Amino acid sequence: MATSQSITAQPTATSAAARRRRARRKRHGNSVTWGIVGWVLGIVFFFPVLWMVITSFKTEAGAYTNTPHIIFSPTLSQYRAVFDSGVWPYVANSAFATIVSTLLVLLLATPCAFALSLRPVRKTRDVLFFFISTKMLPVVAAIIPIYIAARDLHMLDNVFTLVILYTAMNLPIAVWMMRSFFLEVPGELLEAAEMDGAPLRRTVVEVILPVVAPGLAATALICCIFSWNEFFFAVNITATKAATMPVFLVGFISSEGLYFAQLAAAATVATLPVVLAGWVAQRQLVRGLSFGAIK
Amino acid sequence: MAEVRYENATCIYPGAERPAVDELALAIRDGEFVVMVGPSGCGKTTALRMLAGLEEIDDGSIRIDGQDMVGVPSRDRDIAMVFQNYALYPSKTVGENMGFALKMQGVSKEERARRVRDAAKLLDLEDFLDRKPRNLSGGQRQRVAMGRAIVREPKVFCMDEPLSNLDAQLRVATRTQIAEMQRRLAVTTVYVTHDQVEAMTMGERVAVMRAGKLQQFASPTELYDHPANVFVAGFIGSPAMNRLDGTLAPGHIKVGEASITPPDAMLRNAQGHGKLVVGVRPEHLSLGHDGEFTLEVELVEDLGSDSYVYGHLAGDKESKIIVRSGREHPKPGEVVKVAVDSTRLHLFDAVTGERVGE
Amino acid sequence: MTAIAPPVASARRRTKTRSEMRRSGWGRRGPLLPALVFTIIVTQLPFLVTLYYSLESWSLVRPGSQHFTGFSNYVQVFEDSQFRTTALNTVIMTVGTVLIAMLIGVGLALVLDRKFIGRGVVRTLLITPFLIMPVGAALLWKTTMFDPTFGFVNFILRPFGIGHFDWVSSFPLGSVMIEMIWQWTPFMMLLVLAGLQSQPKDIIEAAGCDGARPFAIFRELTLPHLRRYIELGVVLGAIYVVNDFDAVYMMTQGGPGISSANLPFYIYQRAFLGFQVGQAAAMGVVVVVATIIIATFALRLIFTSFSGTEQAA
Repeated sequence: MATSQSITAQPTATSAAARRRRARRKRHGNSVTWGIVGWVLGIVFFFPVLWMVITSFKTEAGAYTNTPHIIFSPTLSQYRAVFDSGVWPYVANSAFATIVSTLLVLLLATPCAFALSLRPVRKTRDVLFFFISTKMLPVVAAIIPIYIAARDLHMLDNVFTLVILYTAMNLPIAVWMMRSFFLEVPGELLEAAEMDGAPLRRTVVEVILPVVAPGLAATALICCIFSWNEFFFAVNITATKAATMPVFLVGFISSEGLYFAQLAAAATVATLPVVLAGWVAQRQLVRGLSFGAIK
Repeated sequence: MAEVRYENATCIYPGAERPAVDELALAIRDGEFVVMVGPSGCGKTTALRMLAGLEEIDDGSIRIDGQDMVGVPSRDRDIAMVFQNYALYPSKTVGENMGFALKMQGVSKEERARRVRDAAKLLDLEDFLDRKPRNLSGGQRQRVAMGRAIVREPKVFCMDEPLSNLDAQLRVATRTQIAEMQRRLAVTTVYVTHDQVEAMTMGERVAVMRAGKLQQFASPTELYDHPANVFVAGFIGSPAMNRLDGTLAPGHIKVGEASITPPDAMLRNAQGHGKLVVGVRPEHLSLGHDGEFTLEVELVEDLGSDSYVYGHLAGDKESKIIVRSGREHPKPGEVVKVAVDSTRLHLFDAVTGERVGE
Repeated sequence: MTAIAPPVASARRRTKTRSEMRRSGWGRRGPLLPALVFTIIVTQLPFLVTLYYSLESWSLVRPGSQHFTGFSNYVQVFEDSQFRTTALNTVIMTVGTVLIAMLIGVGLALVLDRKFIGRGVVRTLLITPFLIMPVGAALLWKTTMFDPTFGFVNFILRPFGIGHFDWVSSFPLGSVMIEMIWQWTPFMMLLVLAGLQSQPKDIIEAAGCDGARPFAIFRELTLPHLRRYIELGVVLGAIYVVNDFDAVYMMTQGGPGISSANLPFYIYQRAFLGFQVGQAAAMGVVVVVATIIIATFALRLIFTSFSGTEQAA
C-alpha cells in the first residue's frame, strides 16, 4: 500500500529529535513564505493609495516627472490650496447627509428586519426580493422624475433631499444585513424573556438589541461608506449649498486640465474619513461585508 | 493491525503551565482495544490526537509497528479517526464520504464501490449511500463515520468519544456494536471517553489519566479490584468508592470514632504511613446490628433491585458514606450501624495517594 | 379558581380568536411597514413616472414638446446600435469585473487564511480599495497610474520596452475594468475569507487522516464549501457593478466614442446631455426589466442554497 511504503521509506537512522526539528522548521518556513506573499500582495494592492498620498505632498512640478520620485522634500502647499478653496461646507454637507440618512436607515431597517426574521411573515422571500430589486433599477433612469419632483417641491440643492435618497439607497442592504444578524439570535433568548414575563417591546430593547449591537454597528458602517462616497445623486441634485465631498473632488478638476498633486491632495482629503473609519472599525466592516455568508 | 507504543510522549501547548500529556508510556498490543478515560482536561483526547498526527509530539515518541511517528504527517500514518462530531464531508454523499480515503490512495472506482458496499452492508447503511450528511439522523451519521474508518482497513482505529452525541438508548446499543466489530476486524483500537462505564465494558485494558499523567493502565477488573491510587479508586466504579480519612494505630486503623481491623499482611505493609485514606466500596459495607460505623442516613436511592443509602458518620457531618442495601432499606433521618468487610479494604497513603498495604 | 396553572405549552396551543389573529397579524406586519412604505414611495413612484415618460416623446430643450408617442421610444431603443454596443459593454464589464475580482479575491482570502506576522496589517491594506470614493479611485487610476507620461504603470513597464502608452485611450474598457476590479476585489475577498473561516477544522483534519494532500483538500472540500459564498459575492457584486456610473464618467466619459460606455452612462448621456427624456426613460425601463429577469434566476439560486438550516455533518 502506498501509505505503509511512505512510512518504511523514512530512514531509520534519523533521530526523533532531528525529525521534530525538521518538521518545526518546515512549518516555520511555510509561515515565512506566506508572510512574504501576503505582504507583497498587500503592498501591491495598496500602492495606488500610497502613491496618491505621496503625490499629494509634492509640488506640481514635482508630480510631473518622467521618473516617479519617492524621495523628495514634502510640501503642504497642495493641502493649503485644498483647504483655502473652502472645503468645509462640503464636509459638513457630506457628514450631515451620511449621518442622518444612516440613522434613518437603522430606524427603519431594524424593525423591518426583526419582523422578517424573528416573527416570520408569509412571503418573507418576496419582501426580501422586492427590497433587493429596488437596487437593480439603474439610478440613471429614475433620476429624471426625481430631479423634476425635487425641483417642483423646491427641494433641489437641499441636503434633506440627499438624506431621503441615501436612505432609500441603503435600506435594502441594511434590511438584508440586519436580518442575518437577527437570525443569529438564539431562539432560547426570546423564550427565556417570554417566560420571565417581559412584553415584546422590552424584550427587544433589553435582550435582543445588545446581542445584535455589533451587527447594527456593521450595518451603520456600510451605510456610511456608501453614503459618503455617493456621487451621482449628489452631482445632479445639488448645486452650491448642499454639495458633498465627491462633488467637491470633481469640481477640483479645472478646465485647464488635471493638476496631479492638487488632485491627489483633494482626493486624500475627500477619502480620508471613510478610509479611517473603515480601518478603525475593521472588524465591523468585515462582519458587515460577510453578512450574507453568515446566514 | 499494528502495535502502538507511547514512549514518554509529551505534548505541551504554547503558553501552558503544564504539559497536556506528560511523559505518557503505554504499550498497546496488536489488535487490542484500549480505552483512555479520565475527567475533562486530563489529556486523553490530546494523547489520541498525538497518535493520529493532529497534535505535536513535543518530546518522547510514538511508534506504530516500530516506526517512529515524530514529524510524520497524518496522511502518512495509515490511521483512521472517528471524530466526536463525526466530521463528515458535507458536500459529499455517504458513499463518497466512505470512499474518500480510498480515492486518495488511488484505488480504482470499482474496487472502491465494492469495499464501500461491503462496509455499508455491515453497518446497515446501504439505503443511504446517495444521501448527504445533512439529511441523516445523528445515529446514521455516527455509523457513516464508523464506516469511513472501517473501509480503509488501517493499522489503527482512533476514536474520540464517538458515542457522546447519541441519546442514551442508542449509546448502549452502539457500544456493543463497536466492541463486536472491533473483535471481528481485529484492528488495534484506541478509544477515548469520559464515561467510565463505557471504559469498563469496552476496553481490554483501560488507561486512566489525570492532569496529563497516566494513573494506571490495566484491565477493567484489575482497575476495579486493585486501584493504584486514590484517584483511580474514586473514578472507577459507580457509585464511587467510599474514601475515609484514617490513622494507623497499633493493630488497627482509626477512622473517626470507629476502629477497623484489616488483615495482618495489609497492616504490616502499611507500616510507616501514619495518615491513610481508607477505601471501601458500597457493596462491601452492610447495614446491621453491629458494625464499626454509625451512619446517619441522609438520602436513599431505590433502584428496584437494590438501593444505595447515602449518609454521614455520626459526629462528622462532612463525611460521605454510601452503602449498598437490598430492597429493605432505612429511611432518611434514621441512624444505623454499618459493618465493614475488612478483607475488601483499600489503603492509600494520605499524602501521596498511592496504594499501600499490598 | 384552581390553584394549578396550566402548563405553558398547552397555553400556547390554545387556538386564537379571530380578533387576536388579526391583531397578531398586524403585530407581525407592523414593524415591516415603515421601511416598506418608504421604499415604495421613494423608488417605485419614480419608476412609474419613468415608465410614463418612456411612452412620451419629450426633449428637455424644447419645453412643452411633450406628447404621447406610445411605444415608439422602445422601438427606437431596440433599433439603436449604440444601445446594443453599450449593452454589450455593460455585460463585458460586469462579467469580467465580477469574475476576475472573485478569482483574485479567492486567492487573497487563501493567503489571509494563513497565519503570518502582520496579517492584520495586510488585511487592512487589502480592504482599503473598497473604501475609496469611486470618483476618487477613478481619478487616481486615470492620472497617477495610467497617465501616458507620468503614470506609474508606464514607469514600471519601461524596462520592458513599453514607455509611453496611453492606456485609457487604447484600452478604455480594459482600463475601466481594472479600476473596478481593484475596487471590488476586497469585497469578494472578505466574503470568501468568511467562508474559509467558517469551515469546521475537524473536517480538514479528517481529510488529512484520510490521506489527502493540501491541494486535494482544497479541491474536494474547500471549494464546494465556498460555493455559496462565491455565489453570493458574484450576485451582489454584479448588482452593484452593472449600475456603476462613477468609473466611466470619471475615467473615459464613455469614450473614445462609446467604446467604454456602459448602460448607466449611456442613459445619462441621452437624458442630460442629449435631453432626450423619453428615450432615456425607455432605456431605463428596458434595463430594469432585463436585470430583474436575470436576477430572479440568480437570486433563486442563492435562496435555495441559503434557505433552511444547514446542519454541520
